Amino acid sequence: ALELAQELAEELWSAGLPGDLPELEPECRSLLAAFAEGSAALTGCLGRRARPVRLCQGCHGHYRRLLAQYGSIARAVGNSSESHNCAKSILTSDRLQIVVTLSEFFNETWEAANCANCLKNNSEGLSNSTEEFLDLFNKSLTCFEHNLQGQAIGLSPNNYTEVCKNCNETYTKLNDLYNHLQRMNRQGGESAHSAHLCIDVEDAMNITRKLWSRTFNCSLPCSDTVPVIAVSSFILFLPIVFYLSSFLHSKQKKRILILPKRIQSNANLVNIQEKYS
Amino acid sequence: QLTPSSFLRIGQLSNVDLNEDIHELETELPRQRPNEIPHNEKLLSLKYESLDYDNSENQLFLEEERRINHAAFRTVEIKRWVICAMIGILTGLVACFIDIVVENLAGLKYRVVKDNIDKFTAKGGLSFSLLLWATLNASVVMVGSVIVAFIEPVAAGSGIPQIKCYLNGVKIPHVVRLKTLVIKVCGVILSVVGGLAVGKEGPMIHSGSVIAAGISQGRSTSLKRDFKIFEYFRRDTEKRDFVSAGAAAGVSAAFGAPVGGVLFSLEEGASFWNQFLTWRIFFASMISTFTLNSVLSVYHGNAWDLSSPGLINFGRFDSEKMGYTIQEIPIFIFMGVVGGILGALFNALNYWLTMFRIRYIHRPCLQVVEAMLVAAVTATVGFVMIYCSRDCQPIQGSSVAYPLQLFCADGEYNSMATAFFNTPEKSVVNLFHDPPGSYNPMTLGMFTLMYFFLACWTYGLTVSAGVFIPSLLIGAAWGRLFGISLSYLTKGSIWADPGKYALMGAAAQLGGIVRMTLSLTVIMMEATGNVTYGFPIMLVLMTAKIVGDYFVEGLYDMHIQLQSVPFLHWEAPVTSHSLTAREVMSTPVTCLRRIERVGTVVDILSDTSSNHNGFPVVESNPDTTQVAGLRGLILRSQLIVLLKHKVFVERANLSLVQRRLKLKDFRDAYPRFPPIQSIHVSQDERECMIDLSEFMNPSPYTVPQEASLPRVFKLFRALGLRHLVVVDNRNEVVGMVTRKDLARYRLGKEGLEELSLAQT
Repeated sequence: ALELAQELAEELWSAGLPGDLPELEPECRSLLAAFAEGSAALTGCLGRRARPVRLCQGCHGHYRRLLAQYGSIARAVGNSSESHNCAKSILTSDRLQIVVTLSEFFNETWEAANCANCLKNNSEGLSNSTEEFLDLFNKSLTCFEHNLQGQAIGLSPNNYTEVCKNCNETYTKLNDLYNHLQRMNRQGGESAHSAHLCIDVEDAMNITRKLWSRTFNCSLPCSDTVPVIAVSSFILFLPIVFYLSSFLHSKQKKRILILPKRIQSNANLVNIQEKYS
Repeated sequence: QLTPSSFLRIGQLSNVDLNEDIHELETELPRQRPNEIPHNEKLLSLKYESLDYDNSENQLFLEEERRINHAAFRTVEIKRWVICAMIGILTGLVACFIDIVVENLAGLKYRVVKDNIDKFTAKGGLSFSLLLWATLNASVVMVGSVIVAFIEPVAAGSGIPQIKCYLNGVKIPHVVRLKTLVIKVCGVILSVVGGLAVGKEGPMIHSGSVIAAGISQGRSTSLKRDFKIFEYFRRDTEKRDFVSAGAAAGVSAAFGAPVGGVLFSLEEGASFWNQFLTWRIFFASMISTFTLNSVLSVYHGNAWDLSSPGLINFGRFDSEKMGYTIQEIPIFIFMGVVGGILGALFNALNYWLTMFRIRYIHRPCLQVVEAMLVAAVTATVGFVMIYCSRDCQPIQGSSVAYPLQLFCADGEYNSMATAFFNTPEKSVVNLFHDPPGSYNPMTLGMFTLMYFFLACWTYGLTVSAGVFIPSLLIGAAWGRLFGISLSYLTKGSIWADPGKYALMGAAAQLGGIVRMTLSLTVIMMEATGNVTYGFPIMLVLMTAKIVGDYFVEGLYDMHIQLQSVPFLHWEAPVTSHSLTAREVMSTPVTCLRRIERVGTVVDILSDTSSNHNGFPVVESNPDTTQVAGLRGLILRSQLIVLLKHKVFVERANLSLVQRRLKLKDFRDAYPRFPPIQSIHVSQDERECMIDLSEFMNPSPYTVPQEASLPRVFKLFRALGLRHLVVVDNRNEVVGMVTRKDLARYRLGKEGLEELSLAQT
């Protein structure tokens, strides 16, 4: 890092900046360089682990380091005077504020991935439940591979009954654990964001489920059509019986007409009709 | 006070001793015309009476006014505001209660059924889940229906027709009682939890009105408690004003639409209006939605967030994402046409169904059975649709409350289940906001079709439930379908988001069914929180109303008519100018003399065949039996109070120290005056005389015989009269025009037609 800072300084000098301009202090310069390096490392890590998603497992170290570096920039005070501290000169002296933007980007990505969810409280390493889940996940993947290899190539490619049968136990365990984690998570958090598990776990589960349901076609078949039809047609039949019986057996409600006291009350309607016909 | 009042007795007679009653009538009055007919829409029921909106300016009233000074009137004004605030707060709290209880109970039910379905999907035997769902629904609805059918039948339905009638000036028995409120609230909760195709928004209007009527009177006859406050407001006129505030507060709590609430009261309810009242009503509405908002936000754990202003929240409609362009307006208008036609179809089907229900399903136990059957069938239809649907969508986050997997792949849910396996409010919001592609067209089409018939079948059951949400849901479903097919036809060019079409469809469908215009536009606008939608929503509602009115009238008007309520519309039928008061009025009129024998009064009041409520008072002229000049008008209720306090001429002479009757005595008896039977008058007292001149209204409204029907109608309607005396040119009483005399003329298909009076 020190070399880098040196390099940076040389570059600046070679660019021919006039010496009388306010200059970044050496401490600040080294901080900035460290941040640049850290963010490069984190970006590389994120990019490499984008698919299949392993962000939280692989990059939490980088992220933690970067956070610390940013923190030291924000906290650092230069020794010359208060108006020339590092935080001010690095973070807020220009319109672009690239350091702030970068750090915001990393924070947002981290939050969106919900990585905090599968890390320990102090962010050092994966939490126990996540470890357990990943363990099971690897087991099921091995199981899938194992059974697929064992299958004779001559059989029809869509016949995965072996896999479905043999790996059902592991898969169900994995699925249950995932659902359990999800439920725990939902109970714990209040805001909408924490309703998600961390992206690694979600993605792992997604891959497995897709394999299981789409590729192997192991999901449950549509069953009991006959009893469902029988019960539902029975229930749907009831109202017809009800309405018919009430039509036939219930006494129709009659209204008793009252003749109003009126002048020529009987001829009244006739009058109207004559007038308008 | 416990004995039923006179109109109740008549109702019971016709219900219980139907045969005996007919027998009597037939022997007494043998006629050629059959006097017993099946129920139809061209009837006016005698059961309904008018409210007394006209202030009786008798001497007592003048005395009171003289006694109360200017400052006291100011406190009356302050009291009005206080009452409005209380109406708002209580309405909001009731809405919160309904919302929270429904959320929890429905959540519990859906969780139980979901667990059961998940269990049986794996093991087989889904028919048990179906049975469980149907039985749960039916049993919950049974409780809801039993309390309505056996305890308070007036709490059935949405209550909007009843409130509309009340504000029009028709006294619907029991409509603003505390008991009705309790049954209504419980009934709504149970019918929504029971999974019927209903909403909890409509009944809020009724609930708000009951709260308003209750608070403004400062007492409850159901609880038999009198808090001795707000005695000044114990009059029909004052109560009506508060009831319109209550209705507005109800709308405001239901949709989070305070302005819409005020306009609803204006459009649907208040036949009588002034600016100060509007301002007070607005105040009540605002308080109501604010109360609901703050309590619900505390309940949801984010206090001071204030993000749930109404029972239903349409969610945010962003202008950027869901904006519309000018080119889309013709499409929206077309949707209005579709909504009008579908609404008319809905109303026509519901009309036949309601007629059948009135004629054949009138026994409470049958009504309960019917409600249970509908609940079971609703569950069954939902289940079969979910079962048959192959529309699976990936779960995204926690947007789906109860994702049913069934035969979908793991990690996916059945898309039909978001529509059927949910409370209707949530389904509506899902249809508005789920991202494009969440539903496939087949699912939406089937859902619309099924839900249309279910909602139509459900409205008019003996459960308390509203029609707003089902209409919105049907409309949102076909609107979304429309939007999807539109983007499919245009190869997805500009009209990407089907959500706004869902909104327009919902507006069109609701407009086509209830035919509200101004208030509905504002309600929808406020519920979406987007003013730019105002214009297309207005166009859609306008078109829906025009198209719908071409076929049949609105659902609420239709139900009012089917209930044989003497409802007065804004105007008299247009072709009725040649009818005069002489032809319209009832005659001869039972008159009282200014100084009348007590016996005569008692006899007239106890005569069951003429259940008159107002009696013209004529100049006492004991020599002749002829009718003499009109001096005033006295009401049955006033006479009863007079008889009860034995205000006879002879007694006044006997004891000078006797307390003079005050207006307070009349108010204390309001609104349920004891029937004449409960007042004992001895033989001696029958010979006494009673002086009415102090108590009668000395200046009743009158019209000459030659006045045309529209003229009479206008006077009657604008002033909210109950009795209008027809006099000849010597000021002698020749007839009396009441509400039923005017309401029976109606513009039918073949011009002017006349409704007949009937006992129901």
